Amino acid sequence: MARITCAALTKSYGAVLAVDALELSIGHGEFMVLLGPSGCGKTTTLNMIAGLEEISAGRLLFDETEVTWTPPHKREVAMVFQSYALYPNKTVRENIAFPLRLRGQSASEIERAVGAAAEQLEITHLLGRRPNELSGGQRQRVALGRAIVRKPSVFLMDEPLSNLDATLRLSMRGLIKRLHQELKATFVYVTHDQAEAMTLADRIAVMKGGLIQQLDTPEGIYERPANIFVAGFLGSPPINLVEGVIAGGAFTRGDFRLALTNPPQEGRAVVLGLRPEDVSAGGDVTARVELVSPLGSETHLDVLAEGGVALTLRVPKEWRAAPGDRLSFGIDPARLHIFDKASETRL
Amino acid sequence: MTRFGYDERSAALLVFPVLAVLLVVAAFPIIYSFWVSLHDIVLTRPLRRPFVGFDNYLRIFDDARFWTAVARTTVYTLVCVAVTTFLAVLVALLLNEVFPGQRLLSALLLVPWATPSVVNGLMWKWIYDPTYGLLNGLLVQVGLLERYRVWLGDPDITLLLIANAAIWKQMPLAALLMIVTMKAIPEDLYRAARVDGANIWQRFVHVTLPALRPGLMLVLVYETMISIRHFDLFLIMTQGGPGDASFTLSWLIYVETFRSLRFGTGAAMSYVLAITTFALSWAVIRFLGKRI
Ligand SMILES: Nc1ncnc2c1ncn2[C@@H]1O[C@H](COP(=O)(O)OP(=O)(O)OP(=O)(O)O)[C@@H](O)[C@H]1O
Ligand SMILES: [Mg+2]
Repeated sequence: MARITCAALTKSYGAVLAVDALELSIGHGEFMVLLGPSGCGKTTTLNMIAGLEEISAGRLLFDETEVTWTPPHKREVAMVFQSYALYPNKTVRENIAFPLRLRGQSASEIERAVGAAAEQLEITHLLGRRPNELSGGQRQRVALGRAIVRKPSVFLMDEPLSNLDATLRLSMRGLIKRLHQELKATFVYVTHDQAEAMTLADRIAVMKGGLIQQLDTPEGIYERPANIFVAGFLGSPPINLVEGVIAGGAFTRGDFRLALTNPPQEGRAVVLGLRPEDVSAGGDVTARVELVSPLGSETHLDVLAEGGVALTLRVPKEWRAAPGDRLSFGIDPARLHIFDKASETRL
Repeated sequence: MTRFGYDERSAALLVFPVLAVLLVVAAFPIIYSFWVSLHDIVLTRPLRRPFVGFDNYLRIFDDARFWTAVARTTVYTLVCVAVTTFLAVLVALLLNEVFPGQRLLSALLLVPWATPSVVNGLMWKWIYDPTYGLLNGLLVQVGLLERYRVWLGDPDITLLLIANAAIWKQMPLAALLMIVTMKAIPEDLYRAARVDGANIWQRFVHVTLPALRPGLMLVLVYETMISIRHFDLFLIMTQGGPGDASFTLSWLIYVETFRSLRFGTGAAMSYVLAITTFALSWAVIRFLGKRI
């Protein structure tokens, strides 16, 4: 069993609707990332899948079996927590062995399984230590060990890397991706870090206010954001959003005009979305450079175009610009995102 | 060049009054009572108080009453500490859950603790009273008892009845300490244990109990220290009786000092009790401290 189906899954705490009729189908062996800002219901969703949180309404299925009321240990899921949640009084070996011991496996079986898991995670030399003698990254490896040792078909991870520093996070990200490929299990991974989501996910569910805003592949979410929230949540530096109207088949705001390939109806109030990297050298858009932020591999330019339109551009480091310069660049109309101003949805 | 700066000097100045008071009310009695214990002081012949070295101590260990008192104190302390600790954990587990009335119950928990121990002693004396006591009345009315009993007159259970009164008073503080310790256990540990397949008992054994160790140690040490020295309940309820059924060490010390007026041996006994208390606490800390 490894396909997860959430049907109108709902969780309410009194008047607070933490998760609102969530529809989500996660395929066998898929790496699903739940992405969203703090308080959007990611953890609640994950806990409902784990069986740690009672489901208020709706149904949850693993393959064809309904597990809405099944207790956590009967669901055969493993979970990894942001806080690691290692048993502080047990050694690393005992921590990893714990789920197997509870299942009444023989000592030799446990020994072998713990050894294999430790080897896979390169923590064999730590087996005799206690959690308080480990670094954050080592602790999270142990927590992963405790999860994989049971060979579950579903892995649930709640911001497992959030407590680690940036470099460690990068290498642990690689480790998790490798584990997913080796174990061929279904992963549901909660994060509010867009880079983690983009690199790890087969598909991303972007959540806000207990609702899924968009469910798509990382490319799909980045290239075709369904609404302004999703567009703004992914990308660094964030997408440029400019309010304006459609006039003469072009996006207009004061003197700022951009011709569109298939414009919405005339006079409509819209929001234009432009990814900072979607500009090319030489073109008919001119702007004054306000701020130059060289990053080595690339440069970020804050520019002010006609009509008081402020844009951030991500350009190759070869573009030489200084504050005060006039800059001409091109924008490919096909790469523009147009959202309806009232409904904030993509047009 | 001064060795102590302004901060250190003003700190010393501020601490001095407390230090002086402590010296007078704590250090002096400790030293003076030790001095007393080395002399043969009997108030019925106040003028002759020869120095006898450790004779008083040696005399205690030849005294049959002392060994009776040690036996009684051991039973009483063991019962008090064991039952108090057990109940405290149980009550803490209950009050750590969220249920209607949990806040009210938590507040009520503190009532026995806030009761002065003399009041507590009198209250339980009345409850156990052979003629108008609540316990007799209740048990007879419910039909568990045929006719009224002289509860505190039964040497087999006197010690336990007094222990019950003591536990009633001291359990709440222990429970409170356990609740505080429990509140500090991260919720994620319980979640992890549930996903790992631990049932409620296994979660208690593998998550709650290990985390309780520091609080448990505190409760054990504290309860041992106060139970071994309990006095007021014995004074109010039984005065060592019936026979020698509740003849504990602190009662022996009282009798020796204030009834027989033998201050020398009384002080020596006090020293024995104090050192025993100290040694026991140290042993508990060493034994449990190592396993944390
Ligand atoms: N036990 C609870 N009682 C009441 N409200 C709760 C409870 N747990 C969560 N909530 C509410 O449910 C909503 C979703 O919470 P959840 O923990 O799922 O957010 P999240 O997306 O995981 O956020 P974060 O990124 O901060 O972890 C929040 O508004 C939160 O305040
Ligand atoms: Mg969360």
